[in-house]
Amino acid sequence: MGTLPQLIEEDVQCLEDALRDLLQRSDATTALIIDKGGFLIASQGDSRNFDLTTIAALASGAYMANQTIANLIHETNFNSVYQQGEKYSMFAVCVDEHCLLVVIFKAHVSVGVVKYFAAPAAEQVANQMLAAQDRDPGAGLDLSMINLADTSGLFRRRD
Amino acid sequence: MAIINQATKELQVKIVYYGPAMGGKTTNLVQVHDHVQTAAGNKGKLVSLATSSDRTLFFDFLPIEAMSIKGFKTKFQLYTVPGQVIYNTTRQLVLRGVDGIVFVGDSQYEKMAENVESFANLEENLKSLKLNLAEIPYVLQYNKRDLPNVAPVEYMEFLLNNREVQVPSFTSVAHKCEGVFEALNMITRMLLHKFVSQGTPQYA
Repeated sequence: MGTLPQLIEEDVQCLEDALRDLLQRSDATTALIIDKGGFLIASQGDSRNFDLTTIAALASGAYMANQTIANLIHETNFNSVYQQGEKYSMFAVCVDEHCLLVVIFKAHVSVGVVKYFAAPAAEQVANQMLAAQDRDPGAGLDLSMINLADTSGLFRRRD
Repeated sequence: MAIINQATKELQVKIVYYGPAMGGKTTNLVQVHDHVQTAAGNKGKLVSLATSSDRTLFFDFLPIEAMSIKGFKTKFQLYTVPGQVIYNTTRQLVLRGVDGIVFVGDSQYEKMAENVESFANLEENLKSLKLNLAEIPYVLQYNKRDLPNVAPVEYMEFLLNNREVQVPSFTSVAHKCEGVFEALNMITRMLLHKFVSQGTPQYA
């Protein structure tokens, strides 16, 4: 399995710009970039009313479950998932090998509009991921800030 | 693989609890959720996608932030897999992007075959994701030590920890929260050491 590149501030800025632009054009509520393992990478829009960490984990699970169904029925083009709700709907689309773009929008917002504007946003995100990869594909992790002497009791049991 | 965001100095790590059905994987997460000491707001909700009889259908999920790593905001995402044999596809999905594994074995004598089968299944599923167990930090937790019909620890070590490199193992009684934090702390320490010492590119 390949891996995503390390993101620096410039990358995160670009991802957030793409999401902001998508929200503005589509009138959607929240947009997230997540990786297919369930991690949240970037988000924009309303984050107070939603638990984005959990949404990222579940959305990636839902998307990957659909991919598995696609494999079982020999379909190669299940590249998005759309869930229509009464108050909110969700649309998730594949960005690249590692990432998904998830959009949460009010039910009255047209899914066609969301899909239309999600496509260029996903492309912009994919391009930035490529740029990050090309920047220094062999770079190691800079974890020098982590103080490992400090990890004796990472998780403590409450008395 | 973990997500490193250098812009926000944030590290996200995925730990999966693996093992045979009814071995105590979900109980581990419930105990961590109930007893972990965190700063306000650092403990997420425990999400369980389970059947009506409380058997895990897809996965359990608990996001949690470690309290003592300076320099990086370190977020751990704890997952369980469904233990029942028929849900293998689901186990593969949950393993995607895994950084560390806690294998929860059932100590009862009659469950030894299931333990061994589940461990072999873990290796197979990792292979299907082009991952190798030898390169992923993992610990063994021998659960249900309070039951009368448990196998000796040495026997479980022989069955499950008999590889070239032996890994840390813990006895536990998960429903009493014994051995739960010991295993969790060990796996987190192991994978952080791996990240720092290896320095190979993971992803951001």
